[in-house]
Amino acid sequence: MAAQTHTAQHSAALLELRNIQKRFGGVHALRGIDLTLQPGEAYHLLGENGCGKSTVIKIMSGAHAPTSGEIILDGETFSSLTPIQSLAAGIETVYQDLSLLPNLTVAENVALNEQLVNGNGRLLRLFDRKRLKETAERALAAAGLPTNRTFLNTIVSDLPLASRQLVAIARAIATRAKLVIMDEPTTSLTRREVDNLIRVVERLRSENVAVLFVTHKLDECYRIGGHAVVFRDGQCVAQGPIANYSKKELAELMTGRSIDAQRYRTGKPSDAELLKVDRLIADGVRDMSFSIKKGEILGITGLADSGRNELAMALTGVAPATSGVVTIEGKSVSVRSPAEAIERGIGYVPEDRLAEGLFLGKSIFENEIALIVSRLANSIGVVDREEGRTIATRLSEEMRLNTKNLDLPVGALSGGNQQRVLIGRWLSIAPKLLVLHGPTVGVDVGSKDTIYRVIQGLAEAGMGLIIVSDDLPELLQNADRILVMNGGRVVAEMDAEQATEDQLYKAMLVITTETV
Amino acid sequence: MDASRTDELHGADSPSRSFSFGELVRRRPETITFLLLIAIVVGVAIANPAFLQPSTLIDIGRASVVMGLFALGVFIILAAGGIDVSFTAIAAFTMYSMTVLVQSYLPGLPIVVVILMATLGGVVLGIVNGLLVHHLKVPSLIVTIGTQYLFRGFLLSFIGTVWIMSLPPQMGAFGRMPLVQFQSANGALITLPFYFLVLPVAALVTWWILNRTLMGRAIFAVGGNADIASRLGYSLRTVHVFLFGYAGALAGLAGIIHVCANRQANPFDLVGTEINVIAAVVLGGARITGGTGTVLGTLLGVLLIVVLNSVLVMVGIPSTWQRLVVGSFILLAAAFFVTRQRKK
Repeated sequence: MAAQTHTAQHSAALLELRNIQKRFGGVHALRGIDLTLQPGEAYHLLGENGCGKSTVIKIMSGAHAPTSGEIILDGETFSSLTPIQSLAAGIETVYQDLSLLPNLTVAENVALNEQLVNGNGRLLRLFDRKRLKETAERALAAAGLPTNRTFLNTIVSDLPLASRQLVAIARAIATRAKLVIMDEPTTSLTRREVDNLIRVVERLRSENVAVLFVTHKLDECYRIGGHAVVFRDGQCVAQGPIANYSKKELAELMTGRSIDAQRYRTGKPSDAELLKVDRLIADGVRDMSFSIKKGEILGITGLADSGRNELAMALTGVAPATSGVVTIEGKSVSVRSPAEAIERGIGYVPEDRLAEGLFLGKSIFENEIALIVSRLANSIGVVDREEGRTIATRLSEEMRLNTKNLDLPVGALSGGNQQRVLIGRWLSIAPKLLVLHGPTVGVDVGSKDTIYRVIQGLAEAGMGLIIVSDDLPELLQNADRILVMNGGRVVAEMDAEQATEDQLYKAMLVITTETV
Repeated sequence: MDASRTDELHGADSPSRSFSFGELVRRRPETITFLLLIAIVVGVAIANPAFLQPSTLIDIGRASVVMGLFALGVFIILAAGGIDVSFTAIAAFTMYSMTVLVQSYLPGLPIVVVILMATLGGVVLGIVNGLLVHHLKVPSLIVTIGTQYLFRGFLLSFIGTVWIMSLPPQMGAFGRMPLVQFQSANGALITLPFYFLVLPVAALVTWWILNRTLMGRAIFAVGGNADIASRLGYSLRTVHVFLFGYAGALAGLAGIIHVCANRQANPFDLVGTEINVIAAVVLGGARITGGTGTVLGTLLGVLLIVVLNSVLVMVGIPSTWQRLVVGSFILLAAAFFVTRQRKK
């Protein structure tokens, strides 16, 4: 156990966990967690996927009951909390999925819960519509969102993702929150939106509200400041002011091994041109021209509305381009659908792997061979499972999956392993070009390292890769060149070896478009 | 999607087609139901002016009551993301059991008590549904298929299979009790029965529950995403029990009104009409995946199907065509709603 802090002991603790244990069947998820949260402080809960971070926040929010241990809340000792108890005590959680009700309005999502909690969860009563509106307006203003009638009555599923994130935060602060837990709040936000979030956090802290972040993005933790709490294998391995730890130290604490944050890219692209895109126009993409060589890694970044996402989808036939010429190995081709893209040797690893990429209930084996089922089938359509199994085994070894059991459902894997299954599936058809969209979103440090090594290996073997990402260090570490998009066009092209995060960021903001 | 497509959907009828018409339809899909209804009424009134006679309208009103009550129950369950196919069995069970009870054991029971007991019987059977859905964690479609057989099987095996042709007098009297009565041109006496009032009252109560109480918001919350709703502190058990209990009450009420209106109690009646009711609710703009829809839309959907039923006969189309027409309407409306939602 490393440094415990005794700095803020003068004020009464907001929430204290004492020797919390949690078992799920045979899995010992938490092995004696001691944690004290003080009012007005920021905490960063760090650790690899599966280290017990989510379990701990679910125990705080009342979604799980601990197997043993004590929870001390406002001086009172509990063996477990219910969601209503936790909410009534002012513990608000912004889950990674945001936990918004997609079919209700912004106002209802933000302010209905206050009335539910005040009524102790009782449902058979009227709700106060005037109060609903007032609470919603106050909370939205605090989160930097509009408070007009149109916005209050907007159905949440009609909002862009970044606004939904802020609506979720507005809900958390609508009640008299004392502790706001944010589970990976910044994964879907661009840098500008992160700035806004950081302002909201500062305002909360000035009002003596504690904030607990669960995140993989260390840069943002340093910007926010406060305490780092590092978990590994269900135990707390370090606690202390985050400024006392270097990035490298934190990564080592999380993984238990040393990780170097050096540039992964070592190879050089060949001279042969693989893909040429000429004057491509699609919904959100205006006039894009660029080319990629065999064995080259091209990074593409920009703000969320810059057209980078649309470009990825146009290249892979998900949302086909309306005009422009795509040439692969000198032959002009059409890419009107994902099936056609596959035929041309273009693979696509989407950003939202859960919704767009994987069959979560199906096994690793079935996921890996999904693209080659027709090739594995004989003339009457019976799939050669033996052959499939051999291929799936080879792919999962290449992708360094941390399980040998290919019959495990993909839903049971960690984010990093799921992503590797998805990339592995594309390798089964040996694409010429692989478009990776946010390849390490929600993936822990250890898995990131593996995925980067795999990406480099693929380039080494002559594949062309496009990484569309807003994780700037990721692009700087992995790409040969980086294109910065803005307003559907390329506004800057940089050599990844020489570029800095700052240069990229400035280029992204050249022409400022509207927020939210 | 644009104006040309809406023209196809409701022919000569020209709605107020401002630039926000598409937005209106997306937020209030029942607009389409309403326009379809108007188009049909106008079309039929031109083909056969007799359609607009008070007697036809009153027939339509009378025929809407039982289906409307069922539809309100189906809608509230659909709003919470579930589906119920047992409501007809609940109605058949309570109506027949009550009729037998009153006829054989309690002939003097006042009609108010009869109706209350039938409604309560519906609540009890509905709560059985709710508890099963909640504790078995099985989709409500499967549970209610099971209970439909169960309730009906119990009715036919233990209560009776005899068609009761002569009702206890107070029930028959309730079925005939007039709300409005007048002489038509050809001298026939036209009656809007008192029981018609039950539908608007039930619709108002349902609207009020859904839009003014926390339970109503909880129902939509569960329909939006049950896991998230429970994480936010909504008790799924309370919602499920209330939901199915309320739908059961409506079914019980519909059953007893059905008996009184038809002046006979047939234990083999009602079961088999579920799909017709679900079709009406879906035509009213509620999504089968839950979380959306309105009471007004539901009533419009019911009206659309009832009007279709009576209209096809009036313009000389065989009633067997009704299914063809309803089927095409459902597909058209569904396709319209879906394209509308995609285009954000």
